[in-house]
Amino acid sequence: MPAKEIVHFKTNIYEYLEALPKATQERLYRESATCLAIFRLLPSLAKHFVNALLFVEDPFLKKDLEQWIKPKGASKFEESWEKLSRLHILAEKEGYIIMNKTFRENYRNCLTGGGEHQSFGVPPSSKDKHRPENTIEYLDSYAKKQWESILHYMVGTRTKRPGRGVVNLLTESGLMAERHEGDEDPQITNKGFQFLLQDINTQVWAFLLQYLELAGKEKNPQSNYPSNKILKMDLVEVLNFYFLLGSLELGQDYSIDQLTPTQQQLIEDLAYYGLVYRRKKSSRRYYPTRLATTLTSGTMSFTKQHPGNIINPLAVKDMPTEQGFIILETNYKLYAYTNSQLQISVLNLFCELTGRYSNMVTGKLSRDSARKALMSGITANQIISYLTSHAHPQMKQKSPVLPLTVIDQIRLWEMERNRLQDTDAFLYTEFKSERDFNSILDHAYKLGIIIWANKAKRMFAVTEDGHPQIREFIKKRMKKNGPQAGGSSSKS
Amino acid sequence: MVKAVKGTILKCDPAVKQVILSMNNSEREPFIIEDLDETHLFVDTAHVERIKRRVEQLLEENTYKIEQLDPKQ
Repeated sequence: MPAKEIVHFKTNIYEYLEALPKATQERLYRESATCLAIFRLLPSLAKHFVNALLFVEDPFLKKDLEQWIKPKGASKFEESWEKLSRLHILAEKEGYIIMNKTFRENYRNCLTGGGEHQSFGVPPSSKDKHRPENTIEYLDSYAKKQWESILHYMVGTRTKRPGRGVVNLLTESGLMAERHEGDEDPQITNKGFQFLLQDINTQVWAFLLQYLELAGKEKNPQSNYPSNKILKMDLVEVLNFYFLLGSLELGQDYSIDQLTPTQQQLIEDLAYYGLVYRRKKSSRRYYPTRLATTLTSGTMSFTKQHPGNIINPLAVKDMPTEQGFIILETNYKLYAYTNSQLQISVLNLFCELTGRYSNMVTGKLSRDSARKALMSGITANQIISYLTSHAHPQMKQKSPVLPLTVIDQIRLWEMERNRLQDTDAFLYTEFKSERDFNSILDHAYKLGIIIWANKAKRMFAVTEDGHPQIREFIKKRMKKNGPQAGGSSSKS
Repeated sequence: MVKAVKGTILKCDPAVKQVILSMNNSEREPFIIEDLDETHLFVDTAHVERIKRRVEQLLEENTYKIEQLDPKQ
């Protein structure tokens, strides 16, 4: 994982789709369910355009489309247009708008019910004899149990270790990392902590996207996946299945016979995450859970099939989380009104918990506890933003929300850890003349590779990557000026 | 004659630098290649991890902890 990504931990399916090559997008549009799901992800103005143009066969001028927009809406128009064209749904050609043929055809099919019907999942022909009672409640609790077990594992609650596949996914995606060689369990990282702060829909998507990334990779002989797991799956099939799940109905069972082999393999893993429920591995049917059916109807869209339950499917049970429950005092003492094991475990990452009562825990922020969190890569800002966003309503009335002394101290604890910075470098010394030194230094500055320089001492240090460039530059200079102008021995 | 030496630049505050300097002097094999300025040192890359650990340890020893007053198990 490049370090850059850890900072911008963005997990938007939309961004992912946009970055796909045109040919892959084209293949995605062959499934009606996918077309519908992508449509749901669009901004509302873009949806409007797609619907308006869907059944227009004649060429349509882009200028005419622009006419629909009031002048002050121009920026929204641009945004929507940009998104549609990046997804290659709409394109402009000689002033006319062209809609992607595959998308048009399949999206139409999806609206009119034409074409092949497998796209939205097929219920099995027989009735499920083992259908769980109170199916929906059962599925909800199953999903919650599975998903929270992953989160619990991340925050280090020593409950049940999730399957090997999950652990691998967590480490490969950088959400957790082995701190010490040979550790039994990896520890949460900075990125993982950021992950915990997201709402559940975003988390699920983040997880699925990571899965996708790994699934698409060539099989790496060194990687320790069980040999038949996650290897070189077809991205399109995986994505199609994600989107299919988003359009299934909660409480209904579906047959796996229509799925491709890749998707059948995929479903096993998704059952682990709690997105689908299967009674046993050999079962020919599956039930999507709420985690799956709300995939494409999350906060991004306004479709309301199950009003109230959409934004955060497990919100009912997480009520205190929504309200905020943490009180932090200027003496570093912390009171958290929660009985959620998960929230307590999150707090335990950077707090010293001292007491637990039926509806609250008490604890204290200390140098040691903060350092423990900082050492595993969680930043001071993440701790502060966690505390702020989960602050008790009474704390939120104050401004600033958290006591300044504590915030400052957390930041100081972080700075204290970074008292020493090291950069691998090459140090250049013993320049014969000031002129030589200055011209080489100028050149190095232009390349932007200088770490440190001192004119009086006639010394400078460049990055490791920059070293060959400087060596070349000095050699060239020597040749030009003749050997007598000052030899160079560049030894490393 | 221009010379290029491979190593690692350590950037730190003057206090930490003094800690490293004293560490360097007390060792059989000095690891500092060049003392650059108040806040920079150029050292042998092989020793960096050890220096970091040692500095961490020294700073840790010199931190006042309120917990020490509590009878902790």
